[in-house]
Amino acid sequence: MSEATANGRRGILSNATTRTVAVHVGLYAVAILFMVPYLYMISLSLQPQEIAISSVPHLIPPEFTLANYTELLSGTLILQWVLNTFIVATTATVLVLIVDSMIAFSLTRLNWPGQSILLTIIIGSFMVPFYVNLVPLFTTVSDLGLVSSLFGVILPAVANPLGVFLLYQFFRDIPEEYGEAARLDGFSNFQIYSRIVLPISRPILSALAIFMFVYNWNQFVWPVVVLQNQASFTLPLGLVILRDTFTFRPGLFMASGIIASLPLFVLFLLLQDQIIEAVQFQGTTG
Amino acid sequence: MSIRDRFSRTEATEGSLQRRETVDGILFAVPYMVFFCVFLLYPLLQGLYMSLFEWNPLFPAQSEFLGIQNYASMLQDPAFWNALVNTVYFVVLTVPAMVIFGLALALGVNKKVIGRRYLRTIYFSPYILTVSIVGIVWSLFLSSGFGPINYYLGFIMETPPNWLGSSALAMPVLAVVTNWWLLGFNFVILLAARQNVPERLYEAARLDGAGTWRAFRDITLPQMRNAIAFVVIVQFIQQFQVFGQPYVMTDGGPNNSTMTLVYYLYNAAFSQQRFGYAAAVGYLLFGLLVVVSYVNYRYIGSDSA
Repeated sequence: MSEATANGRRGILSNATTRTVAVHVGLYAVAILFMVPYLYMISLSLQPQEIAISSVPHLIPPEFTLANYTELLSGTLILQWVLNTFIVATTATVLVLIVDSMIAFSLTRLNWPGQSILLTIIIGSFMVPFYVNLVPLFTTVSDLGLVSSLFGVILPAVANPLGVFLLYQFFRDIPEEYGEAARLDGFSNFQIYSRIVLPISRPILSALAIFMFVYNWNQFVWPVVVLQNQASFTLPLGLVILRDTFTFRPGLFMASGIIASLPLFVLFLLLQDQIIEAVQFQGTTG
Repeated sequence: MSIRDRFSRTEATEGSLQRRETVDGILFAVPYMVFFCVFLLYPLLQGLYMSLFEWNPLFPAQSEFLGIQNYASMLQDPAFWNALVNTVYFVVLTVPAMVIFGLALALGVNKKVIGRRYLRTIYFSPYILTVSIVGIVWSLFLSSGFGPINYYLGFIMETPPNWLGSSALAMPVLAVVTNWWLLGFNFVILLAARQNVPERLYEAARLDGAGTWRAFRDITLPQMRNAIAFVVIVQFIQQFQVFGQPYVMTDGGPNNSTMTLVYYLYNAAFSQQRFGYAAAVGYLLFGLLVVVSYVNYRYIGSDSA
């Protein structure tokens, strides 16, 4: 009996070794495939024009140049677009964090009539595809005089129900006693919100901040509709303009792509552990 | 003070506490609700109203009431059906692949592999790119003029395919690009879900002599059911709304083979100024998503959710 088990174990072990090797090969093969477009992008961005458009592609360029980067920074609106995008992403993220955490606090920690109906409406609006609203939202924003204004991009982004839902799930699981004890100490509801609930919720708030920042940094369709002059463009729109203006300048375009995504890449590197942790927390509570 | 007095005092205090809570509760909810009502709820209702009119964007009061005619003419437009078929084709090409590959990568990285941190970063990293970069990198990559793929294919075949210029290939190419771009989302969610499956379940299964396949089928899949259902539903909703990839890479072509529903809606509204019609297309899409989400929910959603 015990011998059979031991044999069985050995069989599993050698199987396991083969499997481990196979898993490594598979995962690294996919990783390389995933990186090739990236490497191509970086490589092209560093190539002089004549090499970039030669019919023989070079993944490792024979000659390096930073000309694409200097030309972009001095000859286009790209810095303006970086600034616009930064304003949009930062403002929208901050507003979302404030208003979403407030309503989530209200829905989970305070009892008042009508809150369950409100919650149902907000969660139901999850089912609404953004495009249903594209046209009427445009007329609304246009009535408010926000066409071609960055606020025309920012304010509708704050109505996104994702954050409310996420924070609602999280706040619901904070034990009731925290608030009760503070209330006996004479804390107002605002103090319970700002001094107890917000500090406890740091992980989920930072996860929401990252999702919102990436989402708003990369928003494409809505800014295409609402921003109508180049000086007000965000990066995703500006990149399309660059592509159309510099039709045969692939290196230049790739450089612009790298400038556009570098901030997000750095952000992700810094915060990736927190993203996984936060999502995990959601997984266990949701 | 009699007991009775004290009793009613407490009641009064409780009453004012409850009033306080109601007032605060509403005050805390108001800021979000303002954004929600102005930029989501109101446009949504306005859209339903607009979809019943030949909408005049400059003079809304002069709009002509059509009833359900926008919906009727949409259903009679071959271009609409083409866009619907293309969209469904795109969804079929992307959603199952994205879920299966996302799951495979998540389960792979969950094992004790060398450099899993780097692998995790690499798999997720395309997700942070904006669609215009994604579209243009891939357009260059696949181009016949100076793209590396066709250059190397040129050594082994006489005429390498014109990837984005062929009606048959363009949509599958967009699907592959979409997989590369958005897989990271599924990967992260599924990885987190896998890490929530208690290891002791696998240990117990191993003691019972269950092999890898059995463990996958009897533990991993059922335990991850909620996360998988979530990913499937989110991807269905997202991929039904595909717009950026064809907009940047193919312009809906060649021969309208990558014209999707949202692209069609976008053209109706912003090229042809047919706002009422576009709103009708939007509501049809909404209806489709409700049905699809409901079906998904019925078949793969958990019993508890």
